[in-house]
Amino acid sequence: MKRRRKKHAVKPHRLGQIIASIITLGHVPALWTGNIYQGFLKRGCVPILNCWGCPLSLFSCPIGALQHFFNLQLIPFYIIGFFGAVGMLIGRMACGWLCPFGMLQDLLNKIRSIKWRLPRWMTYVKYAVLVIVAGVIAWFTAEPWFCKLCPAGILEAGIPLVLVDRTGDIRALVGWLFWTKIAILVFVVGLSIPIKRFFCRVFCPIGAIYSVFNRFSLFHLRIETEKCKNPNCGYCAKICPMDLNVYENPNQKECIRCMECYYKCPNVALTFGFTKQSSNSVK
Amino acid sequence: MKKAITTIVVVLVAVGFYLCILYGESLGDFDETESVGSVMCLSCMGLQQ
Repeated sequence: MKRRRKKHAVKPHRLGQIIASIITLGHVPALWTGNIYQGFLKRGCVPILNCWGCPLSLFSCPIGALQHFFNLQLIPFYIIGFFGAVGMLIGRMACGWLCPFGMLQDLLNKIRSIKWRLPRWMTYVKYAVLVIVAGVIAWFTAEPWFCKLCPAGILEAGIPLVLVDRTGDIRALVGWLFWTKIAILVFVVGLSIPIKRFFCRVFCPIGAIYSVFNRFSLFHLRIETEKCKNPNCGYCAKICPMDLNVYENPNQKECIRCMECYYKCPNVALTFGFTKQSSNSVK
Repeated sequence: MKKAITTIVVVLVAVGFYLCILYGESLGDFDETESVGSVMCLSCMGLQQ
């Protein structure tokens, strides 16, 4: 008898994204005070994009912190260790299970419209964003330029701050950079409807860092080749939020380990774990 | 045997990264992160002062 997987009312990774959003944006007093959280928790980074300028934010953004150390022309040992430790443990899983901006893109892609496949070369743009914008430019200009252009930041912090501004002081600061960020946000949101996880695949520097670790991380997916009788069925590729042919390589650099394929494969051919693969499986 | 060695190498590299965090902490990286994270960076949100 074929083993069936339990059906979930809410996808587990979606639940993770919702809980992570509530926890990372959990500074509730900011709703009436408007003040940013200043406390011990800001020492900790979360492994996702999380604008620390947002008054609701309880934790720090690792890419913001990385740029800050580069601005000071210091080697960011803490941030390097943080990214490396997370990456070696779970690879790019945080992108699939925790990131609110990723969740937004997942939901946008559910809107009925024409769908486009992203050319593969475009997935390499994020490495240039990481090295050039968040690295070299941040180092030499002493300004966090990725933050200045980040669409997640304008959505989480910039727009809400302008909307709730009662005195008009914040609104007076709106200028060309604000509208540039709005244009980037509209561009990203617009292209997330026809293209799966457009920002994550093309621009996200955190995704670029974790993608390097996917092949080596302790957590990994496996395909049981005996069960995957028809790799050409393409079902896992069809449902993958990153548009990947999972059966070709379940641990390719773009995989965000959302486990959608694991839960939905009709042949239950996917497994996961922290141990190495059996002889009849593909890692 | 090869699988075990691979796993050990991965674990050792991961431990190396954890030690990197601790070294950063000894240099004051945590304090620096807290202090910069506790300031509302308006220019980072596109709001120019």
